[in-house]
Amino acid sequence: MKLHEYQGKEILRQFGVNVQDGKVARTPDEVRQIAREYGQPVVVKAQVHVGGRGKAGGVKFSPTEDKAFENGEKILGMDIKGLTVNKVLVTKAVDIDAGVEYYVGMIVDRNVQSYTLMASAEGGMEIEEVAAATPEKIIKHRVDPVAGLRPYEAREVAIKAGFKGNLNKIADMMVKMSKAALERDAVLVEINPLFVGPDGIPLALDTKFEIDDNAMYRHQDLADWRELEAEHPLEIEASKYGFAYVKLDDGNVGVLGNGAGIVMTSLDVVNRAGAKPANFLDIGGGAKAEVVYNAVKLVSKDTDVKAIFINIFGGITRADEVAKGVIQALKDGILTKPVRMRIAGTAEDEAKALLAEVGSPLIQMYPTMFEAADEAAKDANAAEGK
Amino acid sequence: MGILVDNNSRVIVQGMTGREGASHSRAMKEFGTQVVAGVTPGKGGTDFEGWPVYNSVAEAKAAHDANVSIIFVPPAGAADAVLEAAHAGMPLIVLITEGVPTVDMMKAVQEVKALDAVSRAEGGQGIRLIGGNCPGLVTNGQAKVGIMPNKIYTNPGRIGLISRSGTLTYEAAKLLNDAGMGTSTTVGIGGDPVIGTTFADVLPLFEADPDTDAIVVIGEIGGADEEAAAEYIAKHMKKPVVAFISGRSAPKGKRMGHAGAIIMGDVGTPESKLAAFAAANVPVADTMPEIIELVKKALNK
Repeated sequence: MKLHEYQGKEILRQFGVNVQDGKVARTPDEVRQIAREYGQPVVVKAQVHVGGRGKAGGVKFSPTEDKAFENGEKILGMDIKGLTVNKVLVTKAVDIDAGVEYYVGMIVDRNVQSYTLMASAEGGMEIEEVAAATPEKIIKHRVDPVAGLRPYEAREVAIKAGFKGNLNKIADMMVKMSKAALERDAVLVEINPLFVGPDGIPLALDTKFEIDDNAMYRHQDLADWRELEAEHPLEIEASKYGFAYVKLDDGNVGVLGNGAGIVMTSLDVVNRAGAKPANFLDIGGGAKAEVVYNAVKLVSKDTDVKAIFINIFGGITRADEVAKGVIQALKDGILTKPVRMRIAGTAEDEAKALLAEVGSPLIQMYPTMFEAADEAAKDANAAEGK
Repeated sequence: MGILVDNNSRVIVQGMTGREGASHSRAMKEFGTQVVAGVTPGKGGTDFEGWPVYNSVAEAKAAHDANVSIIFVPPAGAADAVLEAAHAGMPLIVLITEGVPTVDMMKAVQEVKALDAVSRAEGGQGIRLIGGNCPGLVTNGQAKVGIMPNKIYTNPGRIGLISRSGTLTYEAAKLLNDAGMGTSTTVGIGGDPVIGTTFADVLPLFEADPDTDAIVVIGEIGGADEEAAAEYIAKHMKKPVVAFISGRSAPKGKRMGHAGAIIMGDVGTPESKLAAFAAANVPVADTMPEIIELVKKALNK
């Protein structure tokens, strides 16, 4: 689960990190109120789950109350990469030029089977850009998952990264960030920029925090932070059914299968067939007719989808159950787009018999995933007049 | 023979009396695996469909001289179940459970490695964890410690198979079966970001296995396991290896079901994996059926 900046900051604060003061506002009047309270220049920052807010005009320096109100009006309701800004964080402004901006972060790193701590003197920038242009400017260090990050390790990393200021306090901030990551099951936590002012004291100006969905059961206190309106409506519906579903841009073929690997390969096969997958939908193992029915219903709702490609390798999953689910969707009038299926494995013959009985041109079964994908691609492209 | 499991493997099932544990215990038995006992804390001393059930792994291991444990414990207790098996000195632990918190896996994998090192230093056989979120492993005609459908692993063959994805393992095994080649051992290493055994850990076992002639590696986008495997192959493997990479058209930054299958920046891209395999002279199939052609070619060299 991705957290907003203000939520990530709240967690870091709980772990003792020195965080820039700020308050959340939902109306321009609230923005003005907070600016008045702080009595100094503020920054108004859009709270949405996408990167590049600054570039999109979602972060504005506001020297006066009036300017803060005006910026609040501009940013609230704004659309950033398809997401509406419903709230802003109003923070006290910092004289950036008086100090330096650094980067520290921790990420789950499968290559070291633990967290990797990253630090760079190139703060304030997207770390991906630094990594791409000057990877040597990012210092990396594996964090022991049992012991956590020790202060001496943090100091070593800070020194290697070229951090200046109160090294003990900077290292302490990194140790506290590491504790937050381990105890709050972070997939990713970043403090960027980590601002070190003329006094040498580190201050977290912005943060990214993402929690492992598999561990959410032990962070029930954060469950209210999940904002469904910030996600794609079909993704919300998919999560109700327990599907792994991802909406893909510019696609025309709905893709569903049983297992992440086979669905990823199905995307590749649709691309090879000359069409574009409109989604990734993993129905999981052992799906019954009802699950398939719901999956077809979900994918059919997507207006981008012109044809559906179903790719199942059944072990526990029975082909006839898949066929039953699709046929029921047809009978209920949910299915209006062609379904091209490849279902290998258990009860394949029973599935064929069921489909023959219905005899609808909308539902066809093919012996290989390539033939099914080719047909789905042809149908989808034809529907779009390609 | 195969690697890791064979008809001498004596398997206990942690979580045998649960729904998944029960059905897969039966399927493994049907396959011919020596399933000797179950472990369900609190049900020790009872009998489950003819299998004795114990309260702890240590008790079950001692009573049956078991050397493999397969785990079907729900996510919240799965890492603890791994540690119980590892501390009981179980040489092979297979974690099937999907959805285990990553931090739990980091800690468990680290502790298993430490116990493995101690065991080896003391002249023991070590402790190996496979998974989590994996389909397990199977040596055709001998033993299955996993959840793969039995009927696609009927023909013992001489191709080793390693995969991060469950369904694609079945797909590849069936293709090899249908092509008359068959597999020696199939190892599903799992799709999670932190797992006990990687491609590069399994490759040397196949290299040393007299019953394996070639190896198929089924990888996917995300992480750098394939890159590490390619490096290992270039340095140490004499047997031919053929690869396939799933998700080559997946968009960057989107998580594709598997927690591991996400491209972060330039790490884990299909391009970096293809380049790594090319540098190691490992042919990569564009489609799954092409794997068969590449294996045939590699064997005829």
